[in-house]
Amino acid sequence: MLVDRILSNQEGSASRNFMISAIWWSLFAMGAGMFAGLEFSNPDLVHNVPQLAMPHLRMWHVNGVAIGWLSMGYVGAIYYMVPSLAKTRLWSERLGNFTMWAWNLLMVGAFCTLLNGVTEGREYAELCAVLDVMALVALACISLNVYMTIVHRKVKKLYVSLWYFLGALFWFPLVYLIGQRTFVYLPGLNDAIVGWFYGHNILGMWFTTVGVGMMYYLLPRTTGNPLYSHGLSMLGFWGIALFYAPTGTHHILQSPVPEWLKAIAVISSVFLLVPVLTVLTNFFMTMKGKWQLMVTDMPTRFTVTSCMFYLFTCVQGPFQATRWINWYVHFSQWVVGHAHLALLGTFSFILSAAIYYGLPRVSGRQWHSQGLIRAHWWLKFLGFWLMLASLTIAGLVQAAGWQFGIPIDQWSMQIRPYWFLRAISGIMIVLGQFIFAYNTYKTLYTPARAEAKARAKAQAAEVRA
Amino acid sequence: MYRAGALGVLITFFLIIWATVLMPMVLFNPKPSGNGNVYSYDEKAHADPARGRRVFVREGCFYCHTQFTRLQDRGYGPLVKAGDYVFETPHQLGTARTGPDLTNEGGKFPSEWQKAHLINPRAVKPGSIMPSFSYLSDKDMNDLVAYIQTLGNGREKKVTAYVEAPEEYKLALATKTVDTNSDAAANAGRGLYIQNCAACHGMEGLGNGPNSISLEKKPANFTRPFYKQYPDDFWFYRITEGVPGTRMPRWGDGATLADPRGGILTPEQRWYLVAYLKTLSKDRDREETVDNLRQLNKVKVEQLPILTKEQWEPPSGGE
Ligand code: HEC
Ligand code: HEC
Ligand code: HEM
Ligand code: HEM
Repeated sequence: MLVDRILSNQEGSASRNFMISAIWWSLFAMGAGMFAGLEFSNPDLVHNVPQLAMPHLRMWHVNGVAIGWLSMGYVGAIYYMVPSLAKTRLWSERLGNFTMWAWNLLMVGAFCTLLNGVTEGREYAELCAVLDVMALVALACISLNVYMTIVHRKVKKLYVSLWYFLGALFWFPLVYLIGQRTFVYLPGLNDAIVGWFYGHNILGMWFTTVGVGMMYYLLPRTTGNPLYSHGLSMLGFWGIALFYAPTGTHHILQSPVPEWLKAIAVISSVFLLVPVLTVLTNFFMTMKGKWQLMVTDMPTRFTVTSCMFYLFTCVQGPFQATRWINWYVHFSQWVVGHAHLALLGTFSFILSAAIYYGLPRVSGRQWHSQGLIRAHWWLKFLGFWLMLASLTIAGLVQAAGWQFGIPIDQWSMQIRPYWFLRAISGIMIVLGQFIFAYNTYKTLYTPARAEAKARAKAQAAEVRA
Repeated sequence: MYRAGALGVLITFFLIIWATVLMPMVLFNPKPSGNGNVYSYDEKAHADPARGRRVFVREGCFYCHTQFTRLQDRGYGPLVKAGDYVFETPHQLGTARTGPDLTNEGGKFPSEWQKAHLINPRAVKPGSIMPSFSYLSDKDMNDLVAYIQTLGNGREKKVTAYVEAPEEYKLALATKTVDTNSDAAANAGRGLYIQNCAACHGMEGLGNGPNSISLEKKPANFTRPFYKQYPDDFWFYRITEGVPGTRMPRWGDGATLADPRGGILTPEQRWYLVAYLKTLSKDRDREETVDNLRQLNKVKVEQLPILTKEQWEPPSGGE
């Protein structure tokens, strides 16, 4: 039946479809990032094509990776992990698939509008009013679905991942609602304060909380070790709940907004070290005795890499949130490096791990090729380091230029080599993502070979054993 | 126990929203300082700065340009106050400075310069890394330029001249010994120009002298229409100080304001040059365009991007 094809009721189909959509949009969104990177290193690359102008590409890139790739992948992972932790089915697979279509429609809308410059002109809240409403409806459907799944759960105790997911699904729709100031008019600086409350909490109350929840899920599962300490995990949860949300103003630390707000932001930023370090202690202690899995098991390798990057992000974060460091590095490519360390390093890696772990389980197929997964990891890992290094160095050059009051004309050429390296790193990362997409396609849509191969592998393993 | 947890999440979150979103709305209500940007400028007759702001938003200029000055910034004009932003929604504070701050940009360059810069930044700012916005329609472009010219105009004393030399060069006007409007002076300047400048700026001032091949940042093309708006003291200042970051020499090197007689070229010679350079600028419709230039015996024919608005096209585009 048509309804069954479009709004499938099959177990796991919503999760699977969300993951596939995420990979699909990631190609366009990361591709746009790569293209913007190329335009940075060669500003005369394209002329007279408004859709390919660097600011338009950038808008689509950021929204595409945040709302397309990361968010859709997150929902897919939640749809898989929540039922598996609650030992039940997703409350409504049809509603799940409905949201999947709604969200894809939203992405099509975003693609068409942002590249044409239809924007509200606020970073991370560029989408126009219609799309905002769509996103809110979709988020409400997702929250409803997940909360009802929990209500119908078969196990009494809620594992900490569920705390994070449930928290995120309560916080994020609210944050999103507050962040879209389409229907209220706020004077300039208040607009900025609310804007960065939202801009920061889409990161803190959605990407971080769900991402960390996924780490809590994946590490014990892939290593087979029990979680090191439940007490620590609760400490981490409450730390993030308390200290993440008020930090928004650290993004506009030097603008003329009230000092007390800045003080709250900086203090909470530094306090964030506490939950982050407890969370990571918990992770690394859970890994004890199983580090060798990083070599053999690819989901583990992605997860552990992601945890390492998380440590790096969250040491860098409080460091640059302090006034005297921010005074120096603000406005520079250093911050863009931090943004990619967080979203590309930490959270894209954990999402890839979740997909590598979850997709075979929701679709019942083995990965087409382990070699391609390795290729994906290496390209992303090396590409990412190249990007971080070049952006950080470029950022320091810029920061020095601003700090010593040297007009930009005198040093703008000096950062171009680093931008060139960033473009190369972008090509590597996008290539890695294409390999990922190809592998997924092969896994899901060419059944015979994949299974034959898996069987052959299993046999070979037996023989070796 | 889970009920307590859920309650805890609710309470903490709403407390935080209360403290960091609602409180600032109540406590932080800066009064309009009177120094904010005024979007009805003299140029209103030609273009609408308020619409220009919408173009600015649409084109995402704020991803590279900030609009607030900080204590440690130099050369970006007066510091901003909270009250300057009351009517600025959506806010365009920006978070990255890939390009310079635009808080007080109004009046820094002639409008024609701004327009040429938007069409091909590298034509008027050698070595620029700003993308080209040549696809904007004429109306968009004019409104955008009008907007740029209003930036900061409420903060500084009203801009009267677009191009202003630093204070000390205004004083130099007093010691001027040459009548820069006379043909004789221009003729004298021409000789000096051929000797000292033509190697880079070209015989006709098109910026295509033989040396320009080897320069990454190309010499200026003096036939551009916006040079008409350069006052004498500004010419004098540019020649004396050179253009930092490019090969343009400081022709006044070695001279001080106290003892202006030194320098590679004496002040008198520099004034002669001013007189000559002033004559080079052409009207917009008579400005040399690329098609004409192709026919000129240029040392190096640059592969130029195809632009829609040819009259502003650079003679030596690209880099
Ligand atoms: C990729 C980042 C980028 C974007 C996007 C961008 N610019 Fe620029 N802009 C620069 C850089 C770099 C410079 C400095 C070099 C130069 O003057 O060309 C600059 C310089 C300028 C200047 C001269 C400032 C001065 O005082 O020297 C103006 C005016 C300007 N840009 C306006 C705009 C407008 C208007 C837009 C949007 C249509 C825009 N820019 C978009 C990077 C950018
Ligand atoms: C070594 C090559 C070179 C020589 C010789 C040279 N210039 Fe330049 N000149 C440049 C470059 C490069 C620029 C920067 C172009 C720009 O800023 O658009 C420049 C810029 C200028 C400007 C500023 C243009 C503006 O947009 O404000 C003036 C004025 C100028 N030159 C005058 C002279 C005069 C007069 C002489 C001879 C006495 C001279 N130059 C000799 C290379 C040269
Ligand atoms: C999943 C992967 C990625 C994520 C989550 C991501 C996220 C982001 C974010 C959040 C920003 C805004 C940064 C800021 O304002 O400080 C950004 C900007 C940018 N990204 Fe990415 N990105 C990803 C991949 C890439 C790739 C592969 C490239 C290719 C080179 C790239 C190139 C860029 C560029 C050029 C910018 C603009 C920076 C600027 O304005 O100065 N990104 N990205
Ligand atoms: C301990 C935690 C963290 C702290 C204290 C912190 C601090 C900061 C600060 C101060 C800035 C602004 C820098 C500037 O503009 O000068 C910033 C930018 C940013 N951070 Fe973090 N960070 C932390 C963790 C994270 C995490 C986990 C993420 C991702 C989910 C993240 C994503 C970003 C992004 C995307 C930006 C760029 C915003 C923009 O300008 O567009 N950060 N961070």
